[in-house]
Amino acid sequence: MDSAVTQIAERHWHALGDDRVVGRGEVSRRPDGRRFLSIDAWHDTVFDQLAGAMLANLPRPLYTVVDEDDLDLLSRWERTGFGPRRREWEYVVPTDPRITGLDSVLPPPGVTTLAAGEAEEGPLRELDRVIRDEVEATFGWQNMPAEVPARPDGALVLDPARYAVAVQSGAYVGLVRVVPLPRQPRIGLIAVRADRRRRGIARALLAQVLGSAHRRGIATASADVNQSNEAAINLFEGVGARRTSSNLELVLR
Amino acid sequence: MNKATDGIQLEGTVIECLRNATFRVELQNGHKVLAHISGKIRKNYIKILPFDRVLVEVSTYDLSRGRILFRYRN
Repeated sequence: MDSAVTQIAERHWHALGDDRVVGRGEVSRRPDGRRFLSIDAWHDTVFDQLAGAMLANLPRPLYTVVDEDDLDLLSRWERTGFGPRRREWEYVVPTDPRITGLDSVLPPPGVTTLAAGEAEEGPLRELDRVIRDEVEATFGWQNMPAEVPARPDGALVLDPARYAVAVQSGAYVGLVRVVPLPRQPRIGLIAVRADRRRRGIARALLAQVLGSAHRRGIATASADVNQSNEAAINLFEGVGARRTSSNLELVLR
Repeated sequence: MNKATDGIQLEGTVIECLRNATFRVELQNGHKVLAHISGKIRKNYIKILPFDRVLVEVSTYDLSRGRILFRYRN
């Protein structure tokens, strides 16, 4: 199929054939500044034409996300020059303590956990900043899923209702972010300050949020884990989480 | 002016998640289609589960294929 591609807005492209829209492309910018592309087209040729027009107008590097099982889409992006950058495993996490084995898990001595909605925004924001700095100094915050929206002034929106927090000596030392989707909450991030790791704090936070979901009658949660994050893989697989699929982040440099 | 598209937008319910990144969706008229998720949904990490109500664009080239454009809050 032959089509003509037009940029209809700053972030949107349309492919037109026979005066109809036969494909759409979009670029969006994440809080970390990276540009992610998406293209929807039924035909390979339309996809290629959209990709060609978009790539000619956008600065690199550019990114996109594909389900690794979606071989058609993967081959389309690879044909335009995109290659794998990293992989995220998608897990389904049981909440039942009889399966997770978390029913008897307590926070380490001196540590308490606050349920979602109980944390104060100021200390939570400070913990988020500390953890971001620590991650930036190692493998980079840009590896994290971008689901914390930015306010117009650039500051990130931190809703305490979405965070359970670990507290030690009055200081916040670990957090888990849960997106409260009605049938399957999503665990978006679990992190502990570098100087407080390997003490069972993350496991206690997981026990807190999974136990809470179980008491509300929710059977499973979902989580995405970077394949290079062995600590998180061990944590989730240790509570009986099951891999269901994987997402590939692709990059064109 | 909005241009016509090569798809028909219909509401449906996800009845099965298949292994190859596709979903079986039953449309309100009872017709079933195999649907992928749109790039926008994938980019935003929106999860699609059985029983989710969704907006599907059915291909006019093949009425058995669709693309999930939107997941409604059930």
